[in-house]
Amino acid sequence: MSVLPRLPLTVIGGYLGAGKTTLLNRLLSEPHGQKIMVMVNDFGAINIDAALIAQADGDTISLTNGCVCCTMGNDLFMALGDALDRCPRPDHLVIEASGISDPAKIAMAARAEPDMAYGGIAVVVDGQNWPKLADDPLIGAQMRGQVQVADVLLVSKTGGMVPPSLAVRLAALSRAPLMDLADLPQVAPVLLGGVAPAPQPGALPGGMAAHPAYVGWSHQGPEQFERRTLEALLAARPAGIYRLKGHVLSPDGALEVHVVGPTVDIKPAQSDSTRMVAIGLASQINRETIAAWWASAAA
Amino acid sequence: MLRYPLGKQGEIMAQITVYHARNIITMDKNQPNATHVAVRDGRILAVGGADCADQWGPVTHDSTFADAVLMPGFVEGHCHMMSGFIWDYAYAGYHDRIDPDGKLWRGKTDIETVITDMRAYANSMPDDEPLLTWGFDPIFLQSERLNRHHLDQISSTRPVAFLFSSGHLMCVNSVVLDMVGYDAATNVEGVMKGADGAPNGELQEMAAMFPVMRRLGMDYRTKAHQEKYIHQFAKVCVRAGVTTATDLFATITDQGLAELKRVTAQPSYPVRIVPTIAAMNAAPEEIAAQAHAVAAHSHDKLRLGAVKLMTDGSIQGWSARVRAPGYVGGQPNGLWNTPPETIFALCEVMQRERVQMHAHTNGDEASEVTLNAIEAAARKHPWPGARHVLQHAQMMEGGLFRRAAELGVCVNLFVNHIWYFGDQHAALTIGEDRAARMDGCRSALDAGVAMAIHSDAPVTPMGPLFTASCAVNRKTMSGRVLGPAQRITLDEALRAITLGAAYTLKMDAEVGSIEAGKRADFAVLGQDPTAIDPAHLADVPVLGTVTGGHVTLL
Repeated sequence: MSVLPRLPLTVIGGYLGAGKTTLLNRLLSEPHGQKIMVMVNDFGAINIDAALIAQADGDTISLTNGCVCCTMGNDLFMALGDALDRCPRPDHLVIEASGISDPAKIAMAARAEPDMAYGGIAVVVDGQNWPKLADDPLIGAQMRGQVQVADVLLVSKTGGMVPPSLAVRLAALSRAPLMDLADLPQVAPVLLGGVAPAPQPGALPGGMAAHPAYVGWSHQGPEQFERRTLEALLAARPAGIYRLKGHVLSPDGALEVHVVGPTVDIKPAQSDSTRMVAIGLASQINRETIAAWWASAAA
Repeated sequence: MLRYPLGKQGEIMAQITVYHARNIITMDKNQPNATHVAVRDGRILAVGGADCADQWGPVTHDSTFADAVLMPGFVEGHCHMMSGFIWDYAYAGYHDRIDPDGKLWRGKTDIETVITDMRAYANSMPDDEPLLTWGFDPIFLQSERLNRHHLDQISSTRPVAFLFSSGHLMCVNSVVLDMVGYDAATNVEGVMKGADGAPNGELQEMAAMFPVMRRLGMDYRTKAHQEKYIHQFAKVCVRAGVTTATDLFATITDQGLAELKRVTAQPSYPVRIVPTIAAMNAAPEEIAAQAHAVAAHSHDKLRLGAVKLMTDGSIQGWSARVRAPGYVGGQPNGLWNTPPETIFALCEVMQRERVQMHAHTNGDEASEVTLNAIEAAARKHPWPGARHVLQHAQMMEGGLFRRAAELGVCVNLFVNHIWYFGDQHAALTIGEDRAARMDGCRSALDAGVAMAIHSDAPVTPMGPLFTASCAVNRKTMSGRVLGPAQRITLDEALRAITLGAAYTLKMDAEVGSIEAGKRADFAVLGQDPTAIDPAHLADVPVLGTVTGGHVTLL
């Protein structure tokens, strides 16, 4: 196992014009306290606030908050390797998938690669044009496929409300939590996880500003689970948790857990205690529900 | 009276060499055959008999090729410079193949031979080096599917990885599985499991392959344009009689460009290289700007400025975009690598900026959408002579060929597929009817489309005479003739691998035939392809090439 912490990878999917770049700009300018590396297809579309730019050279833009934005070139996977080898290693890697591509084909690399952690697939759904694209005889199947693999669905351009007909269609394709981008005060908690909940003693790692729209839960303890028991426990997690991560002790060595939307990823790890962090939207879940779920299993 | 060959300033002019050959097939209808060709300053001065250049001054007669047959140097309009560096790996494929240094790698037609040959190869390597192989394709083997137990028999101590010929799959041994931590608990799409629940060694798609490639140093990004591999690629070309070859989806870095420029400019470098920029992962305007910027670096043996679009996938991978009636097994339609909307945007910008496009379109729907996009672009920005090329274009039929002809769009057909995959196409992918008309050279020529044919090396071996043979004979591996109505004549096929391909690269005024004024680029053959049974066309030996008057013999 590598001595460096695993590099979490989040993939942003969605068709041309859905709002992927706008989302990335939001992410880069939020006070998340993480050194994020963002990889895009081309800089042409991205429009980073000039005040944030510390240095720009060729295929890399360095920001004053420690984040970097770079182009991935023609070999995305080798670019992943570059990100892993970058010194210092970024805290989080975010990749903007091209408009037609299957984001799962990229995100799966984070599950396969021992040095990476699964950060999930966020698919940006154009609230106005998606139904038409999804019915397009040429690209409809690929559009629907993006939604099917999403861990989080972020609807853009809703003008205040996700149209019920759209919500129904998306729900038929995907169990991923659906959020209206306009309702999200911050996107970092959704894309990266690790947000701190409302101020309380022993705040969570990450050092981010707390926000009342999000519910955070954290737990540390000595409990151990067999891998299969843990998988069953995670499968029974309360709806409304959209991210869950941490280390869990197990008789065969510790496990690292990353849950994003409907996806669960477990890898071997080293840890001397069980430590978990969960995040959800305050409108959908509360801390007590999460704590009760975990306590029931630990008992 | 002896006239001194003096130039304007009085300097002695370049020497005239008159080559004598058994036959010279010129591909020039003014003089289809000759016995002598005169060369001065890298260009053809005269063609005809022994005295053809006498009016130009004193000549030197050269009988190097007296027993050989000369043709115009072949033009490979669709291949990749990866054909050079792939030979760093051991060849594990089904068919016999010859490496750049002339060594024959025998085809491995069953798993036992794969294991025996690769074990012998591994034993010749330093102990700690991984064994990496290429060219293996499970489609040709009837036996059990290749798995880690087979590869463990090759070595249980060094990493062993077989990259399958599709590029989308690999098989690895237990050492590699341990290295990347894949075990029974691994739940990753593409890490295939055996009946025992443990990974069986097969890895599908890049996500599952990437951790292996990263650890075994399989990074191809800049390799093709490194000096060693530029030379290696040239060897592949010379063995095939090719004097002009593309690198048809190139990533061009500043350093790679500098190397390409320097190495190809060496007088002894035997190939004119035509790299086309990958038109992906950047805005169309940026791609066009890069095409213009690199075009300025072109010289006699390096031609830059065109781009390559990647529209769909492959037919045998069921990822090509096909029209009704779809795939014969009911598989869903394939995938766009570039969405139609972006194909339209790329076509418009390239047409406006006068950048020639080569568009990978395997399925007929991809060909149709690209023709639509080119038509729309041409209405907005007329450019007579654009010569955009649909590459592969394997499923185009009469209607699409006629549209291509109307639009002045060329095709470069992947006719090697008939032999390698024709049986599979008929049985498993698109069915009998469309397999019989696929890579339809006859339909293309009848519709008046400018046509080339290609190998896509290293996907299939570079060898224009083999490619021509596929177009003439349309024989599959099982021996059947697939779509006899699409066969073309020998002369048409030889034209396709010379002038035809040169036309698609806008180099037909310069290469592709043996006539006065053109570059002295020849394929040197050991047999006359026009004097044998066309069934044996692929067996005509290549002895070397001449490029700009420079002789390279094998």
